[in-house]
Order: sequence, then C-alpha cells, then structure tokens
Amino acid sequence: MVRDRLTAEDALDRVTGALGERVVEARLNHGQVDLVVEADHLVEVVTILRDDIALRCRFFTFLSAIDRSTYNFDDGGGAGEDKKEKKVGTIEVLVHLYSPEKVFHVNIHVLLDFEKPVCPSITGVFVGAEWHEREAAEMFGIGFPGHPNLVELYLSEDFEGHPLLKSFKLPARSFVKDWPGAKDPDEAAAGGR
Amino acid sequence: MAIKDPELQHLQDSSAFADEVSEGRLVTEQMLLNVGPQHPATHGVFRLLATIDGERIVRAEPVVGYMHRGYEKLVEQRDYRQITNLISRMDWLSGINNELPLALALEKLMEIEVPPRAQYLRVALAEMNRILNHLMFFQSFAAELGAITPTFYAFREREDIQYAMESVTGGRMHFGFFRPGGLKEDVPKGFIAMALASIRKVIERLPDYEDLLTGNEIFKQRTINIGLLEKEVAYAYGVSGPIGRGSDIDMDVRRDEPYLVYDEFDFDVCTAPHGDCFDRFWVLLHEIIESAKIVEQALEALPPGPILGKVPRVVEAPKGEVYIRTENPLGELGFYLVSDGGKRPYRIKIRTPSFSNVSALPHVLRDTLVADMIAILGSFFFVLGDVDR
Amino acid sequence: MDIDLTAWQILIVKLLIILTVVPVGALIGGYVLHKEMAHMQHRLGPMYAGGWHGWAQTLADGIKFAYKEDIIPASADRRVFSMAPAVIFVPVLLLFLVIPIDRTLIIEDLDVGLFYLLAIGSVGAIGVLMAGWSSANKYALIGALRSAGQLIAYELPIVLSAAAVAMLAGSLSLVTIVEAQDWPFILWPPGIGLALFMLFILGAMAEMSLPPFDMPVAESELITGPFTEYTGMRFIFGFFFAETAHMIAFAGIGTTLFLGGYKPIVPWGPLEVIPGIIWFFVKTAFMIFLLLWIRFSFPRLREDQLQKFAWKFLIPLSLALILATGAWILYGPGG
Repeated sequence: MVRDRLTAEDALDRVTGALGERVVEARLNHGQVDLVVEADHLVEVVTILRDDIALRCRFFTFLSAIDRSTYNFDDGGGAGEDKKEKKVGTIEVLVHLYSPEKVFHVNIHVLLDFEKPVCPSITGVFVGAEWHEREAAEMFGIGFPGHPNLVELYLSEDFEGHPLLKSFKLPARSFVKDWPGAKDPDEAAAGGR
Repeated sequence: MAIKDPELQHLQDSSAFADEVSEGRLVTEQMLLNVGPQHPATHGVFRLLATIDGERIVRAEPVVGYMHRGYEKLVEQRDYRQITNLISRMDWLSGINNELPLALALEKLMEIEVPPRAQYLRVALAEMNRILNHLMFFQSFAAELGAITPTFYAFREREDIQYAMESVTGGRMHFGFFRPGGLKEDVPKGFIAMALASIRKVIERLPDYEDLLTGNEIFKQRTINIGLLEKEVAYAYGVSGPIGRGSDIDMDVRRDEPYLVYDEFDFDVCTAPHGDCFDRFWVLLHEIIESAKIVEQALEALPPGPILGKVPRVVEAPKGEVYIRTENPLGELGFYLVSDGGKRPYRIKIRTPSFSNVSALPHVLRDTLVADMIAILGSFFFVLGDVDR
Repeated sequence: MDIDLTAWQILIVKLLIILTVVPVGALIGGYVLHKEMAHMQHRLGPMYAGGWHGWAQTLADGIKFAYKEDIIPASADRRVFSMAPAVIFVPVLLLFLVIPIDRTLIIEDLDVGLFYLLAIGSVGAIGVLMAGWSSANKYALIGALRSAGQLIAYELPIVLSAAAVAMLAGSLSLVTIVEAQDWPFILWPPGIGLALFMLFILGAMAEMSLPPFDMPVAESELITGPFTEYTGMRFIFGFFFAETAHMIAFAGIGTTLFLGGYKPIVPWGPLEVIPGIIWFFVKTAFMIFLLLWIRFSFPRLREDQLQKFAWKFLIPLSLALILATGAWILYGPGG
C-alpha cells in the first residue's frame, strides 16, 4: 500500500479543513486528532472522514461510550477550559477511526444528554459498528436510532440496569458482608466454620 | 395439481405441499442448527445460530457473551498493579501481550522513560508469546479439518518456549510480568541461550509443518477460495492481525507506529491477496518466521542495564486520555485509558482484536457449506476471552 | 485329523470361532490403533492398563462401556435406535466367514465367496441411516445422510476392483483367487494390479469412514456423526467394534485379493516352510498399518469433494481398468 504518512499537525489541519463547521472542537491529544462533534452531525462527519481522498479513515477501530458523570475536571484533564463544563455530567459516545494510508488516528467525542442519551447509528457508514453499538446500548443505555438489530449482545434479556454507568454498583463491591465463617485458624479451632 | 396416488392423499393438506404447489417447485425446509455453545469446533463457548438448507448455510448469526466477565467494569475498581494481572486473562493465548498496552499507556501519561534493556526484553517476550499463539492456532485449524497429528508437533514446540518463559516470569500462560516503567525482574542466567535454542528448533521444523499441510492436496481443497473476506469489508469491520493481512490489508502496528524498540529490528510484514482460509493460514505460518527473526535480533543485541525506570511507589496516572494500541498476535489490541488522576483508572475501553474479527463472521458465512463453516471458524483465529471480555 | 461331527456341531464350532476371534481381533486392533497413532504423534499411547505397555487398554475400555447407563433419548425411535448397532455389527461379523487364513482354514468356502463379501458389506449402510435418523438429533441426521451418500458412492470402486480380480482369477471363490495369485502379486498385471489395489484401498477407507473420508463422523463437527446419541454397549458394538473389526476384515480381504493371502511373499524354498497362517497375519498386519498410517496423516475431504472424487474420478477409472483387465486376459501373456 502506498503510505503517505502525515504528521499529527498536518492531520489536524486536513481534518479541520475537510469538516469545517461540523466539529465543535478539534485539537491534538498525544499525537492523535481529537474531535468533539454534535450528535446530529456524527454520520456526516464519519462519512467525510472515510471518503475524503486526503483523509481515508477507512479502518473502523471501535465505538464505545464513557460515562463522565463523576469525572473530576479540575486542574486540566487535557480539555480546553470552557469545554470541560460541557463534558461534565454527560455520557459521551467515542468513535475511533484510523487511516491505514495516512497513518493517523481520529477520536470523535459525541456528547449526549445524560437523562436520555440518543446517538444516530453509524452502521450505514461502517458495517462493523453494529456490534459495538449493541454493546454500548446495553452497557450505557444509549439509543441508536437507525441500527438494524439493537438487541443485547453480552447480557441476558432479563438483565436490569446498565452495568458500565457509574451509578451501577458492582454487588461484590457495594454491600460487602462480613465473612460468616472463621477468619483465622484460632477461630476455626474454637468452633467457627 | 392434485395427488393421484391414493396412498399419499394425506399429504395433500400439509403446508409444505401447499408451498410446493403454489410456487411450482419443490420446497425444502430450512433447519435451524445451533452450533454451540458446547461444540468442539468453536474455540470456547461460542454459539452460532445457523439456518441451513441441506448442507448450505443461508444465514449465520453469532451469539456471544457466554464468557462476559465485565472487564471494563472490573478495571474501574482496581488499581493498575491489579489490572496487570487481571488482563492477561482476556486473550489467554497471548498472555504477555495483553499487559503491554496498559504499561505503555501509563508510561505515556506519566512520562516515564523505560531503560533499553527492558524494551528489548519486552520485545523478545512478546514475540515469543506470539510464536506460542500462532503455533496453537496452527494446530487447532488443522485439527478441525481432521488432521490430528500436527497438534502434537505444535505442542512439542510450544513446550520448549513455554519453559523458557516460565524460567523468566514464573508462568506458562498468564505472566503478570510487565510493569509501567519496565519489567518485574531481570532474566536468569542461561535464559538467552535457552530461548534462542527453542526458537531455532521451531524454525528448523517449520518447513516440515508447512509441507505437511499447505502442500497437502486435501488441505488445499478445503481451504482455497473458502471463506472469502474482501478488503473493504474487512476495513469496515475493523479486522486486523493475521486475518486482516490474509485479506491484503497491509497493516501492522509494529511497523506503522513502532512502539517499544520495533523500529530497530528488521522484519517483514506478510500479507496475502485472496482473503480465503488458506491465505490466513499462510500468513499465520510465515509470521512465526518473522517473530523468530525479531526474537533473535532482540536477544543478540540485548544491552546491559537496569530493567525498571524511575517509577513512583504508588502508580497514579495524571489526568488525561490516551489511546495506545499494540500488535497482539490476533490483531490490534488497544486501550483507551481515561484517567482522572487516581490510582484506579476512570475508564478503560479495551478494544480487542477478536471482537472485531468475529463481528465479520456473518458476512463471511453467508452461502457456505456446513463443513466449510468449520474451516472458516478455524481460520478466524479468535479467542473467546477476547470476544467477550 | 478326522473328527466326526454332525452338521449342527460343526455349525456351533464355526459360530464360536467367529464370536471369539473377531472381538479379540478387534481388541488387539484397537490397541494397535492407539499405539500406532501415538508413536506417529510423538507420544507413547496406552502405558498403564494391564502393566506392560498398556496391553489391556482396549479390554478395560470395553469393560467400562459395559458398565455405562443405557440412555435412549426421549424423542428417539426406540426400536430402530436399539436395532441399528446390530444392523451395523452383524454384517461385519459375517464378513469373516469366507476369508481364507490358510489353504484349508476357512470357515465356509463358498463358491460365490467374493460376491457374498461385497453384498454383505453393503448392508451396513442401512444401519447407519437407522442410527442417524432415529436419534432425533440434527447432527446425527447430517452425519447419517453424509454417510449414506458416501457408502453408496464408494461401493462401486470396491466392487469393480474386486470384479477385475475375479476376472483375472477366473472364479468368485476366495480360495481359488488366492491360489491363482503368484509372485509378484500386486505388480502383476503391470500397472493394472497396482491401480486396482489403490482403488480398493480408497474404497475401503471410504466404506469404513476412515480419514480422509470420515466426513460422517467428523469429530470436530458432528461429534460422532450418526452415533452421537449412543452410549455404553450399543456404542461399542455399533461404532468402535464395528469400525475396528471392519478394518481387520477389509485388511484380510485386501490381503486375499491382492497380496496373495496365505502364500509366502516370494516363492523361495526356505520361506515356504513358514505356515500360510503366519503369512496371512503378516500381510494383514501390513495392510492395517497402511490404513492407519493414511488415517493419521490427512485432513478430511469435504462431502461434496468426496463425492466428486468418487463419481468423477474413481468410478470412471475403475471402469477403464475393467476394460484393461479384459484386454489383458484376452490378449496378454496369460492367454
């Protein structure tokens, strides 16, 4: 494959050039392009990233979500000053794309409303997003209108709750009961179990 | 059309016959075949709902999650030392490669410098594990097609390499050896000689294995032009690793974005153009040779020095996010680490190779025969721990 | 030695011979299988059962199977399910009736011995279908259907190659066939003999569902194919015993038809002292070794490739060989 390596800055320029108004914010983060995009523009952005000849982000790495409701955004955190207020208390869908020819990565953050997170499905652009969106839906409770088959991927149908939300406490860590039997050999000898 | 034979009159009412009559042709019923979750051909608890018409698969839908352990939630409750031991259990055949992205991500966020000796040893151990992984899939693919003998040859070779790795790390499958900043401890005396001897034995015997299988006419008939995965489809699903390279995707993180000291070694990236089972297998075999080259170069050029950089006693990553990816034997393993400055990560998105690879199965399995399904599942080298996390 | 026995007593003796020799032969054959497979795979094989190199392994396995619970699936057809292993096993036993171990050591020297062999050998196909269909298991069904197709297709190469041998010998009686063979056995007629032998081996391997023709019992796909639902003694008789005994039977038939049966390998004075029975066993052992060797080395052919191989290659080849044999008989040096 003819590889035309871009430096991180070049990649950022090209991406912002191609996308223009559709991104809310664009910057570099450890050598990778970081974009913040509104949910309505997501499908368009992803399509342009994939099809633009100067970008060619054809490789779909993953789609996931982050529950930022308890993230402590004080003193930096890598985001710009005014943007961290936006991110606090949100659920964010994270799409990561990669361009095999130009060798650069794009992280797309889509900030969603915490109460009712809804994000358009990108399965029309990348078929592989199907399983990733199913997982994000069941783990975070995000709706993906336009998804062909949004059923559970990992969890059983009767599972209650969305595990990866910060509000979901793991039983093993939340109501920790005292060990009912003996805790050391002396107790055991004295008659504990 | 009415049935004239008085003996068969009772069939007149059956629905199958009605279809037959209305469409003017013989209608065969489709059967729902449940492959798994317990089945010898699916590596682990993997279920495939196949709708078959005779021996032809009309539609195949994988059902995963039988081994879902909730890694992404578990790691939020544990600190980074505990996570290192936990995550080798994801892709259990590439134990030490799973710990690598975490160590690299922490080193990037905390800006720790890793001494060169540790880098070289990391490369050597990671590549030895890659050989172990590839030998394992070599034998499992052959066994599924009916050639039971390569299993024992592959395990014989794995034994020596596992012994060498055990002498260093104490484990044969799950190692818990990589730390942010370097390694847990230095290698014992005699390790280099032992490792090189075991690698060289593998290389010596590899042409025999290649002949035994890739030269076999029956094997070729079972794998050539079976299970075609087109390049664009593979890109859309995020298929990487030997499976991607078997579909002519020329991607290898070790060469494209070198981590550790891979840019100092001389190795080729094998690709194959057709995207069928044979090509994926061919790529797998030849990657063993390349990995062996890397191990030899790494161990022969091993510099002296410390094996752990300056790491604070308590590992706390500063605030930030980073996506680090490495070339796991099965594909691209990536960790998107979101840290809020504590001992525990805020969120780690673990991007596992087998998850993306397996999601491409419905596309590959359309319109294939049941026996081909077995060959395709075997050639889609995946580990359930990776798919289900 | 003249012992005067009534016809009934002779019949009982013959039955006893078959009913003891065949299972013991199957036990030994099973042990040979384990050991040969192990050594080819860089392992040792059975080592513990019975003390010296695990000689009692198959015996222990048989006893273990006798203890197993007899499970019939609830939705299976009980009568057919129970009968199927018998339909598979009994014909295999009957194959041993006409194989000559020595010039006069044969259970029953039928004039149509070869015809009888081929006819009896094809009854097993019904048993497999019965087993697969009555099991009420989709995998068993797939295995049974594959097996039925395979057995029908590969009957023909066996029948035609045996027919060619019968043409060369001028008789269907197996003793006559052996007597008509001379050194150098399969190399005569040149080319034709070897081709017939290869046809026979391939057909035999497919008849017994041995790899590379073991699609019906593809272990990694269908578990045990038509026999998946069988346990205990039914499994042992229908599957394991039948397969091993079948293999010994075909090895014996192959020896008789192609390798010269109980005749010494070379008609050299000192070798003729060794009784024919020893020669027979040596040659049969060689055939078994060959069959097992091929078994462990190859992956399995897919069912449609298997069928194509039979119908588009083996059967036309065998027909051509019949023509060639006929030509040889008429115009060749044998007169």
